[in-house]
Amino acid sequence: MHEITTETLPIVDFSKLRCIKGYDELCQHYELYLCDESRLAHQGAELLFFPSNEAEISAIFTEMGKRGITVTLSGARTGLVGGAVPYGGALVSLERLNKVLGIGYDASAREWIVRAECGVLLRDLNNWAMKKTFPGLYERASNETRASLKHYKETKEIFFYPPDPTEMGAALGGTVATNASGARTYRYGATRDWVRKIRVILASGEALEIPRGKYFATPEGEFTIAHSTGVETTVKIPQYTMPQTKNAAGIFSAPHMDLIDLFIGSEGVFGAITEIEIALQKWESPVSIVQFFSSDEKAVDFVISLRKEKSIRPEFIEFYSSHALDLLRKKQAADPKVVGMPPIPDDARSAIFFDLMFDPEKKEHDYSRLEEIVISCGSSLSRSWAAYELRDLQRFKDFRHVLPETVNSIIAERKKEMPELHKLGTDFAVPDRALQEIWEFYKSKLEAAGIEWLAFGHIGNNHFHINLLPRSLNEMEHALSLYREFASKAVSLGGTISAEHGVGKIKQEFFSIMFSDRERDEMKAVKRALDPDHMLNPGNLFAL
Amino acid sequence: MKVIVCVKQVPEIAEVQIDPETGTLIREGVDSILNPFCEYAIEMALGIKRQHPETETVAMSMGPFQAKAALMRCLEMGIDRAILLVDKRFAGADTWATALTLAEAIIAIEGCFDLILVGKQAIDGDTAQVGPEISEILGIPEIMYGVGLELRNNKKKIRVTREIETGNEIVETKLPCLISVSKGPMIRSISSFQEILDARNKELRLVTADDLAIDDDKIGLKGSFTQVVKIFPPRVKKQGEIFDGSDAHAAAHKLTDFLSSRRFI
Amino acid sequence: MLSVDRDKCTGCNICEKVCPFGAIVVIDGKAQVQDNCTLCGACVTSCPVGALSIERRQIPQDELDAFSGVFIWGECEQRAETLIPKKVVRELLSQGRLLADKLHQDLTVITLGDHRLTGLDSLFAHGANRVIRCQHKLLGRYEPDSFTLVMSAIITKYMPAVFLFGATPNGRELAPRIAARLRLGLTADCTGLDVNEDGQLVQTRPAFGGNIMASIVSPFTRPQMATVRPNVFPLAQPNKPKKRRIDDFKISLSKALTRTKVVATHRLEADGEASIEDADVIVSAGRGCQNKENLSLIQELAMALGGAVAGSRAIVELDWLPHTKQVGQSGLTVAPQLYIAIGISGAIQHLVGISSARTIIAINNDPDAPIFKVADLGIVGNALEILPVFIRELKNRASAPK
Repeated sequence: MHEITTETLPIVDFSKLRCIKGYDELCQHYELYLCDESRLAHQGAELLFFPSNEAEISAIFTEMGKRGITVTLSGARTGLVGGAVPYGGALVSLERLNKVLGIGYDASAREWIVRAECGVLLRDLNNWAMKKTFPGLYERASNETRASLKHYKETKEIFFYPPDPTEMGAALGGTVATNASGARTYRYGATRDWVRKIRVILASGEALEIPRGKYFATPEGEFTIAHSTGVETTVKIPQYTMPQTKNAAGIFSAPHMDLIDLFIGSEGVFGAITEIEIALQKWESPVSIVQFFSSDEKAVDFVISLRKEKSIRPEFIEFYSSHALDLLRKKQAADPKVVGMPPIPDDARSAIFFDLMFDPEKKEHDYSRLEEIVISCGSSLSRSWAAYELRDLQRFKDFRHVLPETVNSIIAERKKEMPELHKLGTDFAVPDRALQEIWEFYKSKLEAAGIEWLAFGHIGNNHFHINLLPRSLNEMEHALSLYREFASKAVSLGGTISAEHGVGKIKQEFFSIMFSDRERDEMKAVKRALDPDHMLNPGNLFAL
Repeated sequence: MKVIVCVKQVPEIAEVQIDPETGTLIREGVDSILNPFCEYAIEMALGIKRQHPETETVAMSMGPFQAKAALMRCLEMGIDRAILLVDKRFAGADTWATALTLAEAIIAIEGCFDLILVGKQAIDGDTAQVGPEISEILGIPEIMYGVGLELRNNKKKIRVTREIETGNEIVETKLPCLISVSKGPMIRSISSFQEILDARNKELRLVTADDLAIDDDKIGLKGSFTQVVKIFPPRVKKQGEIFDGSDAHAAAHKLTDFLSSRRFI
Repeated sequence: MLSVDRDKCTGCNICEKVCPFGAIVVIDGKAQVQDNCTLCGACVTSCPVGALSIERRQIPQDELDAFSGVFIWGECEQRAETLIPKKVVRELLSQGRLLADKLHQDLTVITLGDHRLTGLDSLFAHGANRVIRCQHKLLGRYEPDSFTLVMSAIITKYMPAVFLFGATPNGRELAPRIAARLRLGLTADCTGLDVNEDGQLVQTRPAFGGNIMASIVSPFTRPQMATVRPNVFPLAQPNKPKKRRIDDFKISLSKALTRTKVVATHRLEADGEASIEDADVIVSAGRGCQNKENLSLIQELAMALGGAVAGSRAIVELDWLPHTKQVGQSGLTVAPQLYIAIGISGAIQHLVGISSARTIIAINNDPDAPIFKVADLGIVGNALEILPVFIRELKNRASAPK
């Protein structure tokens, strides 16, 4: 049993750290730092820091702790639930920790591992990994890393980092703090499945290095952390069962769980994640397919049958509902180049977008099982779009993003007449066995409500983005109550109220649908153990 | 009716970069694609096939083995079969040697045809010469800059809408003839998965120099009349001033000052 | 043939790095030539130990010397009731004169037309020594079959060393037809022409969309044929002509010779509207203008500056403007005094079309747009916001009391 011990970091003179001071100063000239993609109204901050290493972060935490000032952590601010939005206090931007530190091959796990600071953007990490060039790494690396880098470049295969949230401009640290997911989570799992080690700075200013597979909870469900000061903290993990879906809501909990999982997805309330080691996956050339069906229900049937078929392993499975396709048709008529695809066939009433491994050089291809399944759902492989050239794969990717972007611009338009309007999208997911039931529930409620709606999203993970487009305040009220119904239904089916976006500061109502008061108290107990003064990320997960 | 389309695989020019130190092309990471104008010619051929389903369409290319991928794209789009002229003896050909090889292959392998379509120009060479040269070798009329066509007189004549300096004109000629195509659909077509799978079962024939009745010294580098004697990077114009235009009024002011200082206004 | 002297070769790899085509690689310490070598010679000059050499096929010098003279196609266009030589002919004359002087040979312009052919005197004033004129009622309109026949006959009779065409749409059709008929080397779209020590015509042109320049020779065939990109070479300036010699070339032609026939013509330009190739001021729109309606801003600006409207390939493909307004590698080359690029990213194929512009202004939202590398003034901002203000300022200035 390994003992969990913290490290003290070198002392840094706090007075020498770059700091922007003053509520007005920050509101006027640093407003970008006070907001994130959720567009949640901020409450300003008094101090803004830009640490460039762990020691500086530690110094900030120590000093803020002394002064009783709360600290909100900020990465790329692409979150959708206000996680990086400060409620006063100090704001710490981690943007300067933006380097890749190393690369190496783990022979026993047979995977390439990349070590990077928290501020590295996901899109950069992925591009560099695939192009096999990491700017500046060679110059700052040790001999061992240089040798690894050389070895990596010489390997024939191409590697990528699978977690692919739509927003690839997110910072790596943020994706770990929120256990980010994307379409590829269907095949490859969420961020959690790809993190091999983290370094965290706790509220006390000490660092904790946690490799996966080293520190496990005792049979009683506890971790004991020995601080360098000699004090020991005991953390008792919550006793609830996690939903059997991809999940970004709440603290991770499981019997004999790994300590690393406590921090992954904790939305920064336990500490600042500074360095992460992630594993890469071999990239195989895919074919992207958009398969058209004559109804939403046929598309859902297709997904159920496709999932049952073990010989077919899609990278991801995405859905476009009937109304979604109609919206895309309208957009195509207005601006064909933006949609970038041929006209959507008139008889296509819903679509499933998925990637399969495909080697264009191979002579023999056997997709007979796929063909059978498509036919059994009333369609055929000729009623599809497919491509494998890189530039066409990009077109399919762009096509996937046109829909949420179009929805956003419609909301922005309507917001001009109705300033209280905001984007209404769902983030609920249920276990596989409940896909049919939840879809029928959504659809019947939505049709009955009579509000303009469309659905798309990661149907492979039973994770729909239902978007309601209200035209009046009345409709918006109605929409919000529908969402509450959806949340309760999802939870009752063993699902989650947040598959991807997290809870942050704005999903607390749904959070309490999913976790009882007692369960949330258990999470709060973990918070008290690791951050007794409640300094870090006030407002995330737990209401103030 | 048989339509032959001559196509070329080219590097994606937008991705090509020059090594600032050596002034040479950086070959790595540049994708190879079916030349866009050749793809327009394929679309034109498929348009004929949609109107006249019994039309036989053939895509032909002279290139290295990798050019197979470009022919695959043609087959996936709906072309019936493809021919790749691949032989190291074809390498280094200028437009003349290329036209001669393609023309010889059309005669030797296909024999007869009703229409030859080519793309206006290849985006790596930009000469637009191979089409007219093929027509001259085969002794058939050619029409350049075609954007639309119409078969007439029971497919014995063809009317081609073509782009000219002042607009468009419609030209008529008897078949067989050659047309170079300069325009295609606004959105590149996407095949269905079925078409991609079917393409793998279509005939893609590999033809070498031995299959053609042509001497080695008439093809490839040996058969070329032009030779490249030097490659160098283009003269780079010096960059001027960059101005932050986030304030529209300041930007407009800057523009008028600039124009005035250069005596344009 | 490119040969490697294996004794001299040290496997230093320089040739491999310098080759633009990946056609020479070092294997087991020695350079090896691949199939795709084009004999461009880049490696030969760079080899530090002189291990590389190119042996080129030779033709006896006296065979080549039998060909003499620089010929130019005086392509004509219809203006009212006359056929007069196009502007590009004057560009060919200025360059042709330099070449003829270097070769110590004469400069001849070939003109084909019918009775309306006129303006030939100016050809002498601009440097021609001789004009060969072929007048026939069937040559009143450019047509490839008859023009190929006549030109081939003229070449066969007169045996010039060099024959230049403007790379106009007609020139780019006619030249390869002639070259194929007579089995001649032809280089397209030249932006540079010179004569080397061996008296060969060195033809320089852009390749790979304009990313690199290639210099080309036609060592074994005469005449050496080239099409020359319009709006690159300067216009010949009028001079006192040395002599005025017009040779009439007689040929019998029949209608049966022409296999294509024009059935209809549709002008897109307003009558009298000048081509953008002649415009001194051009305001050009790219994809960044977002939609067709915004072109009205472009038109307003053009009008305020007394200029013409043009566009990139992207917007011509979207049918916002006709192909007659397209600037770029697969469109037209323009040579205005002022070129204003609005919402144009500046892909290399576009830049190639504006390389002759004297002053370039660019407005684009993307600070990394390549157009900024060639702009004399680059404004990073939203053109749709800036243009209305800019146009207003221009109008105010124009109407302000002096």
